[in-house]
Amino acid sequence: MALLEISGLSKHFGGLVAIHELNLDVFDGEILGLIGPNGSGKTTLFNLVTGFHKPTSGRVKFKGEDVTGLRPDQLARRGIVRTFQALTLFRQSTVFDNVFNAFHMHYKQPGWKAFLHTPSVSREEDTFKQRAMEILDVTGLTAQKDKLAGSLSSGYCKLLAIAISLATNPKLLLLDEPVTTLSPDKVEMVMEVVTRVRSAGTTVVTIEHNMKAIMDYCDRIVVLAHGRKIAEGLPREIAKNERVVEAYLGSMD
Amino acid sequence: MRSMTKWRIPLSKPRLIALSVIGVALAILPLVVESPYILHLAIMALIYAALGMTFSMLFSTGLISLGCAAFYAVGAYTSALLVMKLGLSFWLALPLATMITGVIALGIGSVIVRYPGAPFVLVTLVLAVVTQQTAGQVELFGGWGGIMDIPSPSIGALQFTGKIPYYYLLLFLFGMIVLVFQALYSSRIGRAWKSIQLSDPLAKAVGINAYRYRVSAFTIASSAAGLMGSFYAHYFQTITPDITGGWVSIYIQLYAVLGGIGFYILGPALGASIMVFVPEFLRLVEEFEPVVTGILLIVLIVFFPGGILGTLQKRPRFRLANLSDRIRKIRRWISTGAL
Repeated sequence: MALLEISGLSKHFGGLVAIHELNLDVFDGEILGLIGPNGSGKTTLFNLVTGFHKPTSGRVKFKGEDVTGLRPDQLARRGIVRTFQALTLFRQSTVFDNVFNAFHMHYKQPGWKAFLHTPSVSREEDTFKQRAMEILDVTGLTAQKDKLAGSLSSGYCKLLAIAISLATNPKLLLLDEPVTTLSPDKVEMVMEVVTRVRSAGTTVVTIEHNMKAIMDYCDRIVVLAHGRKIAEGLPREIAKNERVVEAYLGSMD
Repeated sequence: MRSMTKWRIPLSKPRLIALSVIGVALAILPLVVESPYILHLAIMALIYAALGMTFSMLFSTGLISLGCAAFYAVGAYTSALLVMKLGLSFWLALPLATMITGVIALGIGSVIVRYPGAPFVLVTLVLAVVTQQTAGQVELFGGWGGIMDIPSPSIGALQFTGKIPYYYLLLFLFGMIVLVFQALYSSRIGRAWKSIQLSDPLAKAVGINAYRYRVSAFTIASSAAGLMGSFYAHYFQTITPDITGGWVSIYIQLYAVLGGIGFYILGPALGASIMVFVPEFLRLVEEFEPVVTGILLIVLIVFFPGGILGTLQKRPRFRLANLSDRIRKIRRWISTGAL
């Protein structure tokens, strides 16, 4: 049984077919690269899997459970977390608060105790503050921790997006273009973090246009074009795949 | 094993001191000021400050509500009717009216909170207007003349007379509201609200149920408004549809924006105090008030979106350095005979 099983997934926006009868399995512990020309449906697929869009038809199963159509926060609590392409962050909060706030769903103490600020709640908050610092350390953001997220350079923004998602302790992490527009050394840094995250037990699916990053770090690659899967396999196989090359070249017309 | 963690007060020392000073000042106000008119202004300022805080609570979740006045009226009319039609004591009517307002807010909020942004602003405005119209058209609510001769509260044989007992009761209720609101804002509930306000999709992606938190904010804020309404009904002893409606809601927003929209408790307190006391000192002509208010709101939003506290926070040297510079300039002009 795959960690994530997508079967017959379709998404229509009126007359526009964004995703068409997609079948895809994501296996536990892998880093899966999702590539394809612009408009091929990659982000829409993410939106469908993480509850930001409802599918027109099809099923999504996570750990054997049917999670089709659940809300984003419900899916997050089941362990499916995503980052956003458009640098979606809590811009007017500090880097530290961005990560600290992302622990929200892990609180065990009930809300009324939080309201009363009981010592048990303070203790729990301290635990999460510590874990936030650890995550900042792992993602290389410790020096930025008191800066406002909105004032960060794009490289650090991408790292922060990953840091935020790490706080949720995801089982399946969906990264939307984590290294696009980054300089090569930053790319390496981010992908190192991703590899470490995988070693810690998180499965990763990443949308990327940076071919080198994809080829270097992904175990498998899935190629989308026009909302359909046109190829799937190991990086070196995909690189030689004629249909893939054609899909990319064709889209440059 | 016993834990060593102590109970923490979610306020920094300077804030705590400032708050205590303000608290003491408010507590001794009636002993220092003798004019019942000023006490009345103080009472209204406290009520409007609280209403402004209800606006701010919703704003903290990213919702702009022009419906605060609606729940103020619901609390006022419910309380008046509970006492006058059902013969309940004020002390029972007050919490009951607050709870009834809360339940109604829960029902309405559960529906309208699903449409944040512009639709929400409009719907809440309609809510305020409809509430005013209902109060005015329905006989039970006394029509446009409203309900008069609402009895004053009494403790045993002692009846509330004059302003002072009302003032202290209100101070207590106001204090409760401030305490509850502050406790919420500094807890993970307040942090969830802030996350939703800053980025709705990201908040959801990290597992925050935005809908549920918004409904909670709506219910809590509206209940506070209802509480104030209930108090007002038995203080002023006359309630008319004028106490609510679109305009009142816009004023409530103004209190929060004037004081500083990012300061959920101090902002409305400052804004309401200014708006209640300053016009009285300037003796502004009543007819011009809406025009002045409108211009003030526009100027604030365009030039000083942070309000008073926000602007001060951004440019801490703004007042001191520039002020002394300007004084020096003016002195020079005078000495050279330019003026």
